[in-house]
Amino acid sequence: MRRSVAQLTLLYLAAVVIGVASAWLWLTRVGMSGVDAGIWRTNLLAGSREADAYTRARIALGAVLALDRGETLYYTTDHDNEGNTLRAECRYRIDGTPPPARWWSITAYAADHFLFANAERRYSISGENALLDDAGRFAALISPRSGDPDMPWIPTSGTGGMRLTLRLYGAGEPLQRDPGALAAPSVKRLGDCP
Amino acid sequence: MSIAPRRWPVHVLLALLVMALTHALTVWAIPRLIMDRIITLGGGDAAMQQSGTGVYLPPPTDHTQRRIVMPSPDLLYATCAFDVSERPLRVTLDTRYDRYWSIALYASNSDNFFVINDRDAPDGRVDLLVQSPKYVGSSAAAQSVTAPTHRGFLLMRLLVNDDPVVRAAAEAARQALRCSDA
Repeated sequence: MRRSVAQLTLLYLAAVVIGVASAWLWLTRVGMSGVDAGIWRTNLLAGSREADAYTRARIALGAVLALDRGETLYYTTDHDNEGNTLRAECRYRIDGTPPPARWWSITAYAADHFLFANAERRYSISGENALLDDAGRFAALISPRSGDPDMPWIPTSGTGGMRLTLRLYGAGEPLQRDPGALAAPSVKRLGDCP
Repeated sequence: MSIAPRRWPVHVLLALLVMALTHALTVWAIPRLIMDRIITLGGGDAAMQQSGTGVYLPPPTDHTQRRIVMPSPDLLYATCAFDVSERPLRVTLDTRYDRYWSIALYASNSDNFFVINDRDAPDGRVDLLVQSPKYVGSSAAAQSVTAPTHRGFLLMRLLVNDDPVVRAAAEAARQALRCSDA
């Protein structure tokens, strides 16, 4: 009898562990659904009261206190234009045109969703500091070391994954209706990774 | 008493049910646990500050900020944690800050249930009464908001840059925010 009780205890304990683990893996390993614009994805239910339980949990884990899409559109990517996973030890060039929004920014985050430590305190490029060329395009370098002194630079540190977040505050009505229509910035790797 | 072999299928089915319920409970609980921590810490911060405003003014965002994921380095923040189970919350602001700012309210399940920004309040004035759905009453506040949950969190965002003049104006604006019992 004792053996049977032990087996039953083990069975139910395993059920609880698998239930918790499957939820955690699903939330952290399976990509969030949403609308794609190039390599960028936005979830239209972020911060919304209409969010389903999985979306709400994913947002809480990775972007808690997000604003509703009527206020802000958030696009994220964790891979470059070639489909390779972004890595903190690599060099990337971001290139694009200012999005149609009252204000925008692109911020680099480490795999833990926090800012990269750097003495320069540079973490983002935005409508405030982006330099536009004659064609109205901006560019920025994301890498552990500076390169072109004329190009804005977002320093990274350490190794491992990286995520970029594009924030659009006060996005234009057409983009709010169709977030997939964003002329998305490109993210190209420069050279080989160390 | 031993468990008859023919009962095992029942237990396997029950275990599958337990697994599914645990999975669902985990997904449901994660945003609430995270918000509970944010609300608890936010309330403590405001109390520790002892400014009498009910508002916590975190330092400018940089890489040392490791309490809330994905902080924006381009924003200055002010926060209030609230509990409207006993009394409504009165939120006021009077600012001349001429750049983007917003005040967002979050429920204890992390939903953003209300937001007002500088374009919604062109005169720079906000007077909000945040109430429990169970205790809705009248007030002198200009605008009333019903919170879907008793506990929640207020987050004010102010767009800043490296200009010291802009920083000082944003600092003055967030210091004008007040959160108090109505």
